[in-house]
Amino acid sequence: MARGNNEILANLEQIVGPEYVSNEEADLQPYTWDMTWAEPRMPDYVVMPKTVTEIQRVVRLANHRKIPVIPYCNGTNIGGLCVPEEGGIIMDLKKMDRILKIDPETCYAVIEPGVSHAAFSAALKATNPQWKGEEFSKGFEFGWGVHPPSASVLAMAINHGIGHLNGRIGINSQLMSSMEVVLPTGEVAKIGSCAYSDSWHSFLPLPRMDGLFTGWLGTTGIVTKLGVWIFPIRPYKDVLTIAAASAEDITKYMVRWRHYSLCDEVTAVSWWLAQIPIVFPYSPKPADAPEFFSYTVISGWSEEELAYKRKMWKEVVEKERAKGTKLYDFEYPPEAKKGRTELPSRIVGSTKNYSKSCGGGIAWPGTFAPCKSWPILYEKWKEIYIRHGLSPATRFTDYQGAHYGMLRCMTPFNKRDPASVQAARDAMVECVRAGLPEGMLPYKPPVEYQNELNAVADAGYLYLMAKIKDMLDPNNIMNPGKLGIR
Amino acid sequence: MSHLLKNKNLKELAKIYDWVSMCTHCGNCKYGYEYGPTANFAAMLCVQGDKFNFDSYRGSRGKVSLARSLLHNRIGWSDKVAHVLFTCTSCGACQQMCETDIKPWILRMFETLRYEAWKQNVAIPENIKAWSSTIGTLYNPYKEPHEKRLDWLPSDLRYSMPSKAEYIYFAGCTASYRRKQLARATVSLLQKLKVDFTVVEDEWCCASPLLRTGQYDLAAKFVEHNKALPEKYGASAFITTCSGCYRTLGRDYTMDAPEGYADKYGKMTGVKVLHTTHLLEEMLKKGEIEFTGSFNKKVTYHDPCHLGRHAEVYETPRNVLKAVPGLQLVEMYRNRKFSFCCGAGGGVRGGFADYSLETAGKRVKEAEATGAELVTSACPFCYTNLADAIELNKSPLKMEDIVEIIEPIVRRK
Ligand SMILES: Cc1cc2nc3c(=O)[nH]c(=O)nc-3n(C[C@H](O)[C@H](O)[C@H](O)COP(=O)(O)OP(=O)(O)OC[C@H]3O[C@@H](n4cnc5c(N)ncnc54)[C@H](O)[C@@H]3O)c2cc1C
Ligand code: SF4
Ligand code: SF4
Repeated sequence: MARGNNEILANLEQIVGPEYVSNEEADLQPYTWDMTWAEPRMPDYVVMPKTVTEIQRVVRLANHRKIPVIPYCNGTNIGGLCVPEEGGIIMDLKKMDRILKIDPETCYAVIEPGVSHAAFSAALKATNPQWKGEEFSKGFEFGWGVHPPSASVLAMAINHGIGHLNGRIGINSQLMSSMEVVLPTGEVAKIGSCAYSDSWHSFLPLPRMDGLFTGWLGTTGIVTKLGVWIFPIRPYKDVLTIAAASAEDITKYMVRWRHYSLCDEVTAVSWWLAQIPIVFPYSPKPADAPEFFSYTVISGWSEEELAYKRKMWKEVVEKERAKGTKLYDFEYPPEAKKGRTELPSRIVGSTKNYSKSCGGGIAWPGTFAPCKSWPILYEKWKEIYIRHGLSPATRFTDYQGAHYGMLRCMTPFNKRDPASVQAARDAMVECVRAGLPEGMLPYKPPVEYQNELNAVADAGYLYLMAKIKDMLDPNNIMNPGKLGIR
Repeated sequence: MSHLLKNKNLKELAKIYDWVSMCTHCGNCKYGYEYGPTANFAAMLCVQGDKFNFDSYRGSRGKVSLARSLLHNRIGWSDKVAHVLFTCTSCGACQQMCETDIKPWILRMFETLRYEAWKQNVAIPENIKAWSSTIGTLYNPYKEPHEKRLDWLPSDLRYSMPSKAEYIYFAGCTASYRRKQLARATVSLLQKLKVDFTVVEDEWCCASPLLRTGQYDLAAKFVEHNKALPEKYGASAFITTCSGCYRTLGRDYTMDAPEGYADKYGKMTGVKVLHTTHLLEEMLKKGEIEFTGSFNKKVTYHDPCHLGRHAEVYETPRNVLKAVPGLQLVEMYRNRKFSFCCGAGGGVRGGFADYSLETAGKRVKEAEATGAELVTSACPFCYTNLADAIELNKSPLKMEDIVEIIEPIVRRK
């Protein structure tokens, strides 16, 4: 069965070639949903452009015909962000999958949207950091997340993605260095150093126009090239683990440890998230089990460097214990250690943790929150989750220097049971509502979270946001409905 | 609610909805990847996605999503649905990438979807329909008379085959009708190795093409017929050179769902199923084979999907090749569980010859890049597609089955 209209289909075929456009429901159906509770919605067309010019022409056509355009790479954003609220054109960018440059001296790479974590990690590992032909060490890395390796690096970075180096160097949008974007009206703009030369190393010291396309969920333009910083792989790594009696205890430890900026990552997961698969539906944890389990990844250039970091970590643990913080020793199994250091991972990114117990649904209130809000919100979220029959499978991860970090609650639910879907959605929205006064902000927010955000946002902020959106996208064609303002 | 099973007419598919609904839509299956200590592996593995681009065609996610859309009554059947279903080669690469509970059910789900498609008024590839219309009486998908099935066998041998033997050499339809030299080489090899075997007049298609294309009803009598052969000939094992036959006899006839079809056709018990490479490896291990010559060539091995991913036999053929004096084995980038299909399986060679050969052409290019002079495999069906692509692309590569490499240079110790 075909959708849309034949004239538009013919226009799209002219632009990208007939084999790269379809309006057949059989082709459109995988783009109607994702893992979350988002109600499936059919797009009218899918196009797979191969060049920037093709993107420009599709966007101009869409503007002329006032058809929504939804940028899409792999659809794994856990927010229903590529589900077409108002139908339109799914712009599947997978065919634009070139790694255009890896500069091993200036330590940046330039990628297209279709470059997956899989392909990027393989290419970076095969490139050695060097200066004028002299190689310093083996391989580069980027901030690898724990998502399916088929997911796009660009889509992750421009939406404030989170990777394994967040503790050391910040979240992945902070690692972006230049970009090229097709505006909703079809013009192409370069932003950052690449606007002046073919060097894609930095946005600074220019005005930060990349912010117009970062965290906007594909509603302000289509990023067609991205410069990102890359980092030499450190040959020595270790994973240190500690458990705690409560959210309060684990937060105290994490904040003190982060103070020294010595780790690549420090994360804590609640007992429910430490179970494989995640406990679903809720059942209580054994009374004598710790509430939180934490791992921290340390890396270095020598065993001595690692030894120093281990020593400092032990001191932190001892100091906290001396103050009465309830910390318990526990050992990570070797497989779990691998999962933390061998990223990106086919297994860790596979959603294996979720599926056994449920009917394929996954979502989470994923948020950035000040660390001091973690224990407060954990207790609130726990109450909300248990009330909805869900396990408080919560994660805290610190981002570079104890200013703030991730607070999220990974939630399996049964898509085949309307009550289960409803419970998950209600619980998560309630968590977001509870968190906003504490400084917590949801990332890659589904529409429901966006509405919560907008309800309490500064009026001037929303005014400016709408003004920017209108200025860039006068016909509101880019991923409409996702920001809750247009 | 969108994920409720509303279409109760798709009975076979509905039966496995518990498993289908376990897919999280994560998309792991769309691209091949594995972490490695010094190098990470990353490559497109889905034959279908590589050709037809859209997510509907990429990995199992597209087809799971299709199954759900049909079961939820959100889309209807169409020729396009049939195209999505029948252009998958059932290579199983997507299954390797999946780690959720749907994993073991993925290939079974593809076949179930095809089973349902036959009952709809949609464009099943004409060529598949054509061979399906005669296979019930000719017992092969090549539209050849059954009486000619053993024509490959020199007549002196044909009439001197024992009526009882330890092994039945199950030649399969492709070797019997299209790659006769391979069947002959196998018989010669078995004779040289003094294996107690026979070849049987009443061998029928193993039913692989029927099962892979979802023709469950038609497959039943084939399974029933072939299952009875060992008893009739006093044999305790089947030996195959065809990876498709190996998979079908060894798994579909003998294993429970989802790996096999014991749920539909009952279980074949007490009969071993060996691929020729198993026999060779075993005899090499026991020191029963002596090489009388060498094979001084650089060779790359193509993993047949039915032997590799479907049955997890990766090292056996390699061990055999490594034992051959003079043979230098080099690997393609995509190998073992991350191999790239030759493009023939799942009914695709019959249904979409051009696309099938285009895929084989990609594999031939990959083989060329290794610097090998010869590509080998362990399946007459892969042989056919790769050899045709070598010819079509005027590749300097030569193609020989492992049996053809070994047969001239061995004897029983
Ligand atoms: C199990 C699991 C674990 C995860 N863990 C992490 C994690 O550790 N860290 C993390 O950051 N994320 C994580 N995610 C979320 C997600 O996988 C990543 O953010 C991912 O990189 C998104 O890539 P994608 O190709 O799926 O993007 P998509 O979902 O296709 O797109 C994401 C958003 O970006 C927009 N977009 C896409 N391309 C463009 C473009 N070129 N220009 C403008 N807008 C565009 C889309 O419209 C959409 O709004 C996880 C997901 C899963 C399923
Ligand atoms: S079986 Fe092979 S061709 Fe079919 S979807 Fe899976 S990877 Fe693609
Ligand atoms: S089939 Fe497996 S790998 Fe593919 S989307 Fe579903 S759960 Fe993920």
